[in-house]
Amino acid sequence: MKFRKKETDGKVDMQMAAMIDIVFQLLIFFMLTLKIIPPEGDFNINMPIGEMAQSSSDIKLDLKVKIEANPDGSLSQLWFGGRALGNDYPDCFDRLNNEIAQIAGGQQGYSDDLEVELNPDYNLHYRYIVKAISSCRGRMRNGSLITYIEKIKFAPINKPQ
Amino acid sequence: MKFKHAKPTIVEADMTPMIDMTFQLIAFFMIVTNFDQTQADERVKLPADRLARPPKVARENEIVLNVGFLRNSDGSVSSGPFIFYPGEDIRVADFEPRLRREFTISEKQHGLEKTQDTTIKIRSDGDVPTGMIQELIKMGKDIGFVKFALVAKSEDDP
Repeated sequence: MKFRKKETDGKVDMQMAAMIDIVFQLLIFFMLTLKIIPPEGDFNINMPIGEMAQSSSDIKLDLKVKIEANPDGSLSQLWFGGRALGNDYPDCFDRLNNEIAQIAGGQQGYSDDLEVELNPDYNLHYRYIVKAISSCRGRMRNGSLITYIEKIKFAPINKPQ
Repeated sequence: MKFKHAKPTIVEADMTPMIDMTFQLIAFFMIVTNFDQTQADERVKLPADRLARPPKVARENEIVLNVGFLRNSDGSVSSGPFIFYPGEDIRVADFEPRLRREFTISEKQHGLEKTQDTTIKIRSDGDVPTGMIQELIKMGKDIGFVKFALVAKSEDDP
């Protein structure tokens, strides 16, 4: 009796072509849908325009920051209380940050009884108000945020004449 | 004389490293792809600040308002500022009916308490006059919104 020699040697060939097709399609999909968006953060405005603190007795010191603008919207003068801090952006905001730091007590955390009222000119560019809010809010040190003042509000709108 | 029978030569490329790399690329793109920020409008050139950090706890309800300019190809301002609302660009002064409608819809869906808890996130171009942002906040406040946040791009420490 004659036996046929088995030709299979136990190796199973997987059909890879279909999988590779799908994998490449997935890869192309994710590559095309990728949008590189820089991370964004936000600043809460707790006390909107002109509103007085709900319990005014909580606020012991109301700090006023006035930001004047040139006709083209650039910074003309930064005032902290009655003191002019200049218009050399961004150094004048660093000076504001230092003034706030002295009042808020340096590194000992934020003070709950302090409030800042921002009074910008109508045509002042938004980037300066963000810088002003940031200067009042605190500063970054060694990668961590030191908060000076949480309560920031806007003064009533300065409508152009 | 005996000749050896020549076997057919089929060269099989080793696909394993390529498949490994492809799966790693897919995993990378799946992780970095962010589908959340669909409300951000690319026309708005946000100012950058070191203190701008994403909130530690994501807000449950928020309305994002993109305020910016229409710009020419060279980056100069052609018109605006507008609020880039889905499908149309609206001037800040004309936005009050839309914001009121947002409030009404949200009130019907979630109730008054949750609607008042909604944060209005203002993503504004760095060149927009601050007075317009103040007007937008006042408009929202008059309608009944309470919480407002001004957005900036996160800047790394020097």
